[in-house]
Amino acid sequence: MRRRTFIAGTAAATALVSAPKIRAASKDKKYRTALIGSGWWGMNILREALAAGQTSVVALCDVDQDRLEIAAEEVNDLSGDSPRTYADYRELFEKEDVEIAIIATPDHWHALNTLAAIEAGAHVFIEKPTGHTIGESQAILAASRASDRIIQVGLHRRIGPHHVSGMKFLKDGGAGDVGMVRMFVHSRGGIENPSKNSDPPENLDWEMYCGPAPLRPYCRQIHPGGFRHYLDFANGTLGDWGVHWLDQMLWWCDQQSPKTVYSTGGRPVRGEAILTESEQTSDAPDSQIATYEFENFTATWEHRRFAGQGPEQTSIGCYFFGDKGTFHIGWRDGWTFYPADSKQQIIHQDSQLQEPDGHNMQLLWADFLHSIETGKQPTANIEIGHQATTASLLGMLSLKLGRSVRWDGEKEQVIGDDEANRLLKREYRAPWTYPAIG
Amino acid sequence: MSSIYQRLISLLLIVFPGTAISEDWYRWRGPHLDGISTETRLNCDWKNDQAKLAWKAQVGTGFSSVVVKDKRAFTLGHVDDQDVVYCLDVDDGNQQWKFGYPAELGDRDFEGGPTSTPTIDDDRVYVLARAGELFCFDAASGKVNWRKQVADEASVRLPGWGFSAAPLVVGEMLLLNMGESGVAIDKRTGELIWSSADRECGYATPVVVGEGASAVAIFASGKAYTGVEAKSGKQLWSERWLTSFNCNAADPIVHDGKMFLSSGYNRGAALFDMTGETPSLIWKSKEMKNQIHGCLLYKEHLYGIDGDMESGARLRCMEWSTGEVVWSVDDLHPGGLAIAGGRLILLTEPGELVVAPASPQGWTPTSRATVTGRKSWTAPVISGGRIFCRSIDGLVVCVDCRE
Repeated sequence: MRRRTFIAGTAAATALVSAPKIRAASKDKKYRTALIGSGWWGMNILREALAAGQTSVVALCDVDQDRLEIAAEEVNDLSGDSPRTYADYRELFEKEDVEIAIIATPDHWHALNTLAAIEAGAHVFIEKPTGHTIGESQAILAASRASDRIIQVGLHRRIGPHHVSGMKFLKDGGAGDVGMVRMFVHSRGGIENPSKNSDPPENLDWEMYCGPAPLRPYCRQIHPGGFRHYLDFANGTLGDWGVHWLDQMLWWCDQQSPKTVYSTGGRPVRGEAILTESEQTSDAPDSQIATYEFENFTATWEHRRFAGQGPEQTSIGCYFFGDKGTFHIGWRDGWTFYPADSKQQIIHQDSQLQEPDGHNMQLLWADFLHSIETGKQPTANIEIGHQATTASLLGMLSLKLGRSVRWDGEKEQVIGDDEANRLLKREYRAPWTYPAIG
Repeated sequence: MSSIYQRLISLLLIVFPGTAISEDWYRWRGPHLDGISTETRLNCDWKNDQAKLAWKAQVGTGFSSVVVKDKRAFTLGHVDDQDVVYCLDVDDGNQQWKFGYPAELGDRDFEGGPTSTPTIDDDRVYVLARAGELFCFDAASGKVNWRKQVADEASVRLPGWGFSAAPLVVGEMLLLNMGESGVAIDKRTGELIWSSADRECGYATPVVVGEGASAVAIFASGKAYTGVEAKSGKQLWSERWLTSFNCNAADPIVHDGKMFLSSGYNRGAALFDMTGETPSLIWKSKEMKNQIHGCLLYKEHLYGIDGDMESGARLRCMEWSTGEVVWSVDDLHPGGLAIAGGRLILLTEPGELVVAPASPQGWTPTSRATVTGRKSWTAPVISGGRIFCRSIDGLVVCVDCRE
């Protein structure tokens, strides 16, 4: 493998970044689109859909009437569409003829929302993760296999220009033989004081928000915008950022399954989780390490919600350690290769993101439309989303169990551990029933 | 007696009505309630990026800005389980008096501490605490004339981040942004005059349009901007204005029969025609999202901070009549903004003062100097040739710009 230069790296990257092309003839087609979960990220996706010019927004659904009203006004401002608004996704799918459904609810709702969308005959753009438990993700996978609908998962880092060029650099051997991968997300933070519980705001259907999850007391920290750190609704940082960076690692290793997963972590800085009648804290770990053993290499996840970046050059991304050096794929900081031989030149490529939120949803949406038109699998299809989600949830499962788990990637079962296998699913709160797999 | 000299002064005031050598900045957004100082003789020609720092004082954590009258400067800060009212001598920063009352830091999603600004009226200072208690102090001595738990008395709930608006004196009343559309208090006695429904209020200070019996007060709630009859609190109109976290924090700007509203969290801005019975939309835009700071309207242009502070906001100039962005500077890290003598005076988040002409021609800074050198989100205040700057952790710096 010849030594790459900065110029060569950039040229290779440029060739790869052109957006997927859509056949001009189909541009007139407008897809009747519904958004389930019209908060910050759901609206980011919908704005990209509108900007692509092939979307007619027929319906919005949210359990927060204020969010629904703000979103409907914005859709009207952007497109002139006057979407009907729903508080219950079941009513939406009953009354509307939906061609594309965007699912951007908190994680604990993903499976039921997505299964209803597929059942209604819609193509689905689902936010990652594809489940709150592995079984939910398996149910979505099975339903999508049984239908001809396209499922795109919101893993925009699969298509972001610096990710594509970085992955080519890696797969072409730019870092040499990679023997170790380290994924990480670090931020600042400190102790978490409990927040008072209160009656839910009048605009919020809290019972429906909780849905299949336990009906815990409402507190302002959860909604709007805070669900990720409550394990009833999500899986903390590993279940959020972790899915993106695990997916980068799985992309590089051609979708292998881990053999063994072990995770440890807790809340040493934020403090013990509290949930009483009168107050509560979040309960996701403030720091966590997960080790994934693969056939020929080991990958680790590490997150910290305190101390910040510290002496590191970056606080987010994925290091691939090879015999030629260390390759870092990051977020706003693009990718950088640090040769093992310090006399060699560092190679770097900037990110190309959409601001203000620093994503590549435009490319991912275009890819989704292309798949709908051609029937080809999208870039971040449900298999890919399912595997990344599964890896993150295995880390959470081991953390909760307090022991390592051996994973059978074929059968998608934990080997020789009934208690662990029971954690592949969760109890749903009545009247909701856990989805059947297949 | 009318001397030629006095007549000359009168003539000058007619020719230059909007200028002053020195004025007391005795309330939030200043004597003219627009955030604009009419002081013109500010020497900001700082050499080697060094301003003349007259004094520094420590007042504790918070976002309260400074008000000034009769050589006294007032502000609030959180120290040791109390929110503290400080009275400082403008000449040397020495503490003339202080008064603390028990308060939580309340640092949910931010550093915490008091967020409202005191209001001076004659010889009294009014302070609205985050938990809803209203204090009336003797400005000179710090003696508490009276104190009232207004939130309890009016039976209105606390908004998520506590009460933040400055009290506004209108005749014999104090208007407070509490409840759905405000509360009015007798400024002499603290007696409740009228109140509104128990709904979450917003964080903006009330704005009054018109005078006397027909005066209309505009209150930001969590979900709307509502016009009420100032004397009675009777609702006249309400413009629904939903924002994530019910965070309507920017004071409305009323000018030329029109009203400008703006909020952060991707809400954006709109201009309304106010000549009819209810507001009627003229334009709306996502290009000016005032999360915590209201815009300044100067010569038919809005100067404001667009975007959410924590994720990196922008300084922008927008045309009032059209909502078109005239210019935008993305990398300034604005922390707070004032205008004096036709110049923008920007306190950046890292605590630097930057001065530039307030002009639609663009952002062309003429001088800069580090002042607080710390994270600062409070608008600078100009009074008597001095600029008062405050950091979140409570460093108050007095920059002497007298000629």
